[in-house]
Amino acid sequence: MSEFERQHPVAAVSRAFALIRGNIVTILIFLFVGAQSENFPFLWWLGAGFSFLLIMGALNWWRFLYKLDGDTLHIKSGIFVRKNLYLTKDRIQVIDITSGIIQRMFGLVKLDIQTAGSSSRQAALDAISLEKATEINRILRQIDPHGPLSQESDADPEGVPAISSDDIRKRIVMPNKELLIAASTSGSFGIALSILATLFSQIEPLISESVIFEYIFDLLPSQTDTLMIISVILIFIIFAWLISFFSTLFKYGNFILEVKEKEIVISRGIFEKKRVTIPYNRIQAIHITEGVIRQPLGYASIHLESAGYGDEKGTGSIVLYPLIQKERILALLNDALPDYQKEIQGVSPPARSIRRYILRTSFIITILTALAFWWLQLNLLIWILPVISVYWGWLRYSDAAVARGNDILLLRSRGISKSTAYLKKNRIQDLTIVQSPFQKMRNLCSVVVYVASGDRGKSFSVQDIDLQEGERMLTEFRKERPAVDDQANPVPTGMVLLPGWN
Amino acid sequence: MSDPDFHKLTPRAIKVWQISNFIGNVFFFAIPVGYIFMFGYSDHHFWFVNALFLFVLLFWLFSFLWLPHLIWKNWRYAVDQKEIELKHGVLVKTHTMIPLSRVQHVDTRQGPILRWYKLSTVTISTAATTHEIPGLDAVLADRVRKQISTYARLAEEDV
Repeated sequence: MSEFERQHPVAAVSRAFALIRGNIVTILIFLFVGAQSENFPFLWWLGAGFSFLLIMGALNWWRFLYKLDGDTLHIKSGIFVRKNLYLTKDRIQVIDITSGIIQRMFGLVKLDIQTAGSSSRQAALDAISLEKATEINRILRQIDPHGPLSQESDADPEGVPAISSDDIRKRIVMPNKELLIAASTSGSFGIALSILATLFSQIEPLISESVIFEYIFDLLPSQTDTLMIISVILIFIIFAWLISFFSTLFKYGNFILEVKEKEIVISRGIFEKKRVTIPYNRIQAIHITEGVIRQPLGYASIHLESAGYGDEKGTGSIVLYPLIQKERILALLNDALPDYQKEIQGVSPPARSIRRYILRTSFIITILTALAFWWLQLNLLIWILPVISVYWGWLRYSDAAVARGNDILLLRSRGISKSTAYLKKNRIQDLTIVQSPFQKMRNLCSVVVYVASGDRGKSFSVQDIDLQEGERMLTEFRKERPAVDDQANPVPTGMVLLPGWN
Repeated sequence: MSDPDFHKLTPRAIKVWQISNFIGNVFFFAIPVGYIFMFGYSDHHFWFVNALFLFVLLFWLFSFLWLPHLIWKNWRYAVDQKEIELKHGVLVKTHTMIPLSRVQHVDTRQGPILRWYKLSTVTISTAATTHEIPGLDAVLADRVRKQISTYARLAEEDV
């Protein structure tokens, strides 16, 4: 592969679709506006738009060349402004092989090579044959740097040698039951609801004046306005839930986690198949999220942070396991990430910070409720809100904890859902302790830790821990040496064994 | 705070912050002025505008007379072979530690006022965050920058 190559022509189409997906909101608004005007040949508009996108896609495809040169991938791209991109093997964070519906019709895949800079976003090969992707993947991930590269070029003709090449130490398949629970308790429910609401606000003026609407309105038996509103909201919620259910199902169906000598491979997806390869030494952090709906059911999801750019939002979070029973988390982590210390003696915030936790969540809510109650003459039931917020503050207090292991920090906290983060000390970008005047009065502080993730990094924090504990974390981090001997200066508050899922 | 390794910022920085706050925060007077344009100057609006004006005035005076001193008094930085430590904050105190092996790049930058007073800001970027040491003497800032990048190279590791 010392010659420049062009991708498969399908790349032009998939690029065009990517453009559509990227501008979907604009296009939808455009379509609605177009549909309303009578004197515009609407189909012409549509046709012109599509052919423009296709031409752009085709030009992009024509001008996009790639070459594998030793252990460097060299990409030339850009229609007018030519851009040369060199990706070296030892800078690669994550390799991502996706086969969407279009690609699969032609037996192709998309190869996405992520480095720690956002410019590698352009280094995605949209449509190449599976063999070629596997070959590039293999060469770029080759473990022995002195290994003969030439022997790698004749890839396994049967396909998928990426799996068969180096031995899998452990293969974990997500059971269907967990997939169904994951889909039905998916957090994207809220997002789906908001998208639906936005869409509805766009179409609402169109349909409320149409004949169909009146027709349906007449069909409904003796409706009042309240009933109407309630039923519309209900329909919305059901729709949003269905959307989030199926999108999660399609996204995480066929979920397989493979643990290898040097890397983790995550494959998932029903229609759009995705295979993500993350070397161990590129994992920045792991965090376990127990959502409000999932926690009572005893389930959690596991994510890991990588410095590759990850998803469209620019966060480097990758789902390591979408849904797992609490009791099985430690076993899974032991299988998947053996070099992380799992259980550490930790410290909860002292009892004097309970008040701060509860005040922080309930103060504003209580004042607002009181104002609303007096001025708007609301029902007495509104007072349930402050009660909930006090309970929420208590939950946040009881979930907060920190632990210092040999080479690891464990931070547990709750925003709305409970999150437990494992941070390797040598992966931490910076550590800050913050002390507000109120915290100073009670000798407390908050600790904020940043790790690299995507473009911006991700922070984990625990509020209102004992100042001494915070300073100890800082000292330990400074010296980069094993844990301070706790026997010498005992911690004044109760010790807990973290993460405490058992 | 008695840690001998910690350094203070160059005292001239106070002057710079005073000037920039003096100029920058004048624009807050637009709030009471805008209020007059919107609601007029009569009845209870009169008192409200006056209160607002007084508040902005006090804030403005505070921001260029006293605040820069407070900020300067609370700023400390330390650079050694393993990490950078920054302590600052007037009300909310923060203490940040950045291992040198995590530093991606360091640079110094100057605005017009800083340049007039021969000062620079040192900016330290990691893969996740960006930190600043504001208002160091330009020569000193250059030395700190070089020191950081030398140490960082010694502590070279992957992201």
